[in-house]
Amino acid sequence: MKKFINDPKQFVPEMLEGIALANPDTLRYVPEYHLIHRADAPNHDKVTIIQGSGSGHEPAHVMTVGRGMLDGACPGDVFAAPPIDYIIGSTKLLASNKGVLLLVNNYTGDRMAFEMAEEASSADGITVRTLFIDDDVSVQDSTYTVGRRGVAGNFFVMKAVGAAAETGADLDELVRIGEKVNSVTRTMGVALTACTPPARGAPLFELGDDEIEIGVGIHGEPGRRRALWMPANEIVDELLGAIVPDLPFVSGDRVAVMVNGLGGTPISELYILYGIIHKRLTELGMTIGRNYVGEYCTSLDMAGASITLVRLDDEIEMLLAAPAEIAMRVF
Amino acid sequence: MTSSQDTTEFVVRSIAEEALANEKYFGELDSVVGDGDFGYSLARGFEVVLSGWDGVDRSDPGIFLSKIAIIITSTIGGTSGPLWGTAFLRAGTQLTGLNEVTPANSIAALRAAIEGIKHRGKSDVGDKTLLDALVPAVDALENAFQAGDDAKTALGKMATSARQAADATSLLQARRGRASYTGERSIGSPDAGAIAIAVLAEHLARTWPT
Repeated sequence: MKKFINDPKQFVPEMLEGIALANPDTLRYVPEYHLIHRADAPNHDKVTIIQGSGSGHEPAHVMTVGRGMLDGACPGDVFAAPPIDYIIGSTKLLASNKGVLLLVNNYTGDRMAFEMAEEASSADGITVRTLFIDDDVSVQDSTYTVGRRGVAGNFFVMKAVGAAAETGADLDELVRIGEKVNSVTRTMGVALTACTPPARGAPLFELGDDEIEIGVGIHGEPGRRRALWMPANEIVDELLGAIVPDLPFVSGDRVAVMVNGLGGTPISELYILYGIIHKRLTELGMTIGRNYVGEYCTSLDMAGASITLVRLDDEIEMLLAAPAEIAMRVF
Repeated sequence: MTSSQDTTEFVVRSIAEEALANEKYFGELDSVVGDGDFGYSLARGFEVVLSGWDGVDRSDPGIFLSKIAIIITSTIGGTSGPLWGTAFLRAGTQLTGLNEVTPANSIAALRAAIEGIKHRGKSDVGDKTLLDALVPAVDALENAFQAGDDAKTALGKMATSARQAADATSLLQARRGRASYTGERSIGSPDAGAIAIAVLAEHLARTWPT
């Protein structure tokens, strides 16, 4: 393993410290809870929005803290939900008079930790609602699982509720908007390589030189099936073949498209994917209202990508278009 | 061991030390169909349990376990923090106020821990989780106590049962946790949590003073 690390146990704290040092005017870092929060939080004119999840998905979610998106993010260690106390501590510190919205990707550990934290925070008199995001279509039979996973589509929920919160929308309204966006968002990913968690020091799973994992999760969990490598056109067809009929997205729909790199994919390849997707969706009679190509929700150093489609309406499109000032930036 | 408090501390210390010793192994088991964080998460919590050992409130065995639960929920992330924290808290609540812990009290505490895990994880035996080893292990311990076995013999039977049940999870399809996403592909490898229960029970039985 060759990585820019000192001690695997300090991987997350050192990263968070770096993010805070790079954004001194806008962000604050509370090491005790792995918390990155807006310098001006809590703001009692708006609902506080906090996202947890594990680390290893950067820029999600610690770099999406800022005006128009999150008030705080308290990640756990790599690929692990935060300890309950981080969530309770962060919630108390950032609680606004208008309440707190916790955004949670739908995984067993995250669900349990946030449910326990919500109970504890409510008992302390803080108004808390929790919103679970589950956009991953690759989990087919939810009877035998904890349901679909929350993956890159989470960005659309964060952006929409973040924008609405800035206008003073109340907690119930944010929950309505978040649930609506989640309900029209679908994602599926594919891995070309495994990823290497720092504490493990070796690839998380074995994937042959000529193999790809279709439907992979953002923690390297196996997906729908393992296949031999195939050209980009065919990979896009398989992913869209799962995503499009799931909602379903139909001719006449106006959509947002995200092509998300999983951490080890060159930007050039993401644009190759986007070009194919753009043409396919146009052939299907859809209009692409907004597009996002780059790294949003990664899986450490995994080569791979996910495709997300969101069915837009005027309200969602307006919220996605609203300004946001977060640590992800080009200049 | 002269008191119930000593015995409780021996059990917790044994679990903590063995969780640390097996950090890599547990992580590798979890990598097969999970996400590999299990060993790391557990070790980070029990590391803090050991480093703060002398400062833990020892008013009685129940309070001691409840304080350990708080350390677990504040330091262990992932799925293990809520599950193991709930288990220690329920066991501690069951024993609070008792200075002398009988075998029947121990079984009641373990049953309370199991119910806590079931409730928190919305799962049951057969879902390919640690419950698949823990439940038959506690059954075996209870049967041994009722048959009049001494503690070391009873723990030996508990460990044997835990190991058999943990190994048998290879045949199950995961229905909880991240392994559940793999569906039938989870069949063929054991559940990391169930194996951990077997390893911890074996260590306890092996090191228990005669």
